[in-house]
Amino acid sequence: MGNEKRKLRWVKLDNAAKIYPAAMRKNWSNLYRISMNLREDVDVQVLQSALEVLVKRFPSIAARLRKGAFWYYLEQVAEAPKIREEYSYPMVFMDKEELGQCALRVIAYKKRIAVEFFHSLTDGTGGLIFVKNLVAEYLEQKYGISIPCEHGIVDRNAPPREEELEDCFPRFAGPVTASRKDTNAWHMYGTEETNGFCHVTCFKIPVEAALAAAHAHDATLTVFMNAVMMQALWNLQKEKTAPGKRLKRIKVLIPINLRNLFPCETLRNFSMYTIPEIDPRLGEYSFREICQVIAHKMGTEFTAKHMSRVIATNVNDERNPLVRMIPLPIKNMVMKAVFDRVGEKKACLNLSNMGQVKVPEIMESYLERVDFILGVQASAPYNVGMTSFGDTAYINIIRNIQEPELERHFFGVLQQHKIPVTVESNQPGGEQTCIV
Amino acid sequence: MYCIKCGVKLEDTEKKCPLCGTVVYHPELTRAPAEPLYPAQKMPQYGSEKRAVSGILLLLFLIPMLLSCVSDLQPDGKLDWFGYVAGGLTVTYVIVFLPLWFQKPNPVVFLGIDFAAVALFLAYIDWQTQGGWFWGFGLPVTLGVAAVICTMVALLHYLRRGKLFVYGGAIMGFGVLVLIIEWLLSRTFQIPFVGWSFYPMVVVCLLGGCLIYLAIHRSAREALQRKLFF
Repeated sequence: MGNEKRKLRWVKLDNAAKIYPAAMRKNWSNLYRISMNLREDVDVQVLQSALEVLVKRFPSIAARLRKGAFWYYLEQVAEAPKIREEYSYPMVFMDKEELGQCALRVIAYKKRIAVEFFHSLTDGTGGLIFVKNLVAEYLEQKYGISIPCEHGIVDRNAPPREEELEDCFPRFAGPVTASRKDTNAWHMYGTEETNGFCHVTCFKIPVEAALAAAHAHDATLTVFMNAVMMQALWNLQKEKTAPGKRLKRIKVLIPINLRNLFPCETLRNFSMYTIPEIDPRLGEYSFREICQVIAHKMGTEFTAKHMSRVIATNVNDERNPLVRMIPLPIKNMVMKAVFDRVGEKKACLNLSNMGQVKVPEIMESYLERVDFILGVQASAPYNVGMTSFGDTAYINIIRNIQEPELERHFFGVLQQHKIPVTVESNQPGGEQTCIV
Repeated sequence: MYCIKCGVKLEDTEKKCPLCGTVVYHPELTRAPAEPLYPAQKMPQYGSEKRAVSGILLLLFLIPMLLSCVSDLQPDGKLDWFGYVAGGLTVTYVIVFLPLWFQKPNPVVFLGIDFAAVALFLAYIDWQTQGGWFWGFGLPVTLGVAAVICTMVALLHYLRRGKLFVYGGAIMGFGVLVLIIEWLLSRTFQIPFVGWSFYPMVVVCLLGGCLIYLAIHRSAREALQRKLFF
């Protein structure tokens, strides 16, 4: 047993992952969930067996968070975590004890296989590859089919490749740094839910209709959906702000997959973000103007050169010998203070679009839908995850406050653009809790 | 099925519209059986660690209480001063540690409980010492302070705006309370009413008035912010 334990791989946290354990608090940890719905109920035993295979193939994802004297690190788990049951809401708080055992959860509920990741393990791209392979392994074991290694499916019996475990941030850090100065955004508020309950409202929209509306504004789907959200936030702020009071900036954080800019195959965190904003001091914005603001912001910042500067800024901090020598508890305090002061004040919410999920053709016939849900922020009540599978886009809006005001405005803007919407949620039926 | 209020199309699982809360009902349409997105009524159990800490703290309070009870009984088999120790410890426990047992303690409710505990302790001291001051002085003062503080905390807790009004009003309330205290002192303990309470009352009423003035006048508030920022 001792020998077996020594063979377990460990990796340092990558540059982006370092903030998440430090920013944790009593009832919040940074989680996200990717799930796939099959066409029939999940066989939990087969799923457990599939997970056993995956744990060996993805040592940096099937890992637990451990404390060193100066930094946290990830250690591969010796055996697969038990498949868990679903609660009435996703991403139930993951405490330090659980993170120390395994920093991901695999949940089976009726037809759905869901995996919840602590963000230090990997970003959405890495998470999606893990889930795709978990489902592929499950399907192979359950139905005896053979799924080809394409669209992120890997040979699960082969050892992990070193490129998959690399922290790519230092490699692509540029020679100059970027400024971190940024303005604060409007902060949403509401009546906080008790016991950590989170409302999930899923907007299902036909991709074709959304694309047609986006193209009518010369925008991509990501730009269009962000514009819809910014317009909804703008409308909500105006509704909630007393006449004569100053309106604040509307800003949405858009994560960017850096693998599209740099030659990198890592399965760890390798993403950055851009934050387009609309400033009410400049007057009203038409929808087309909002689309242009987002497209221009993404156009100027979503370049290898700009991103190398941003990466350099972050990497330089962790390279600083003085910073490295500070013991972990003190580092945690400082990082948490910085996160609280800066981290979540720069945007109203995050809107992460994972894009069209592609799987091998043979797998597609077994799948019904794919969802991506971001956990709520530490101090802001909303977050949005979006993904498309087949001809449907799934926009999951999560909130930890009672009032579904943003969802209503979001629906209103989609309606203005004549996009048909079907809505489902995890709200308990019966009693009426929300007031229009 | 569509929501009759906001018009959004709902999945068959929805019992009410997630956007406006309207209960889904249409007598002529039957809905296909559908699986809910998440299981209802299945919540994680939190707070076992917190409860354990609260239990240990309760034990830490019970130990000195037990020890003082034994020490008081030792010489003559009677309890003389134990009541004061027990009362003091209980009031401290109620104020500081009782809220720890709850997930989200409501400060308004707990303040009410705190003042009730203080009033009971004062009543006990009065009864033990045959003081005769509780009904005429102890209880009215406790009730007065409780009324001002509970009102202030309730308004701050439930209202999103108008904090300066609340603070201003509370400070003025304390000013009036000082005047009442002097009157109660003179009535209960036969101390002559000299009117010393007017001085603090005027000062705090001025201070409270200033806060209310600042609450009303935005320009004055901004000017003060400009001068005093750090």
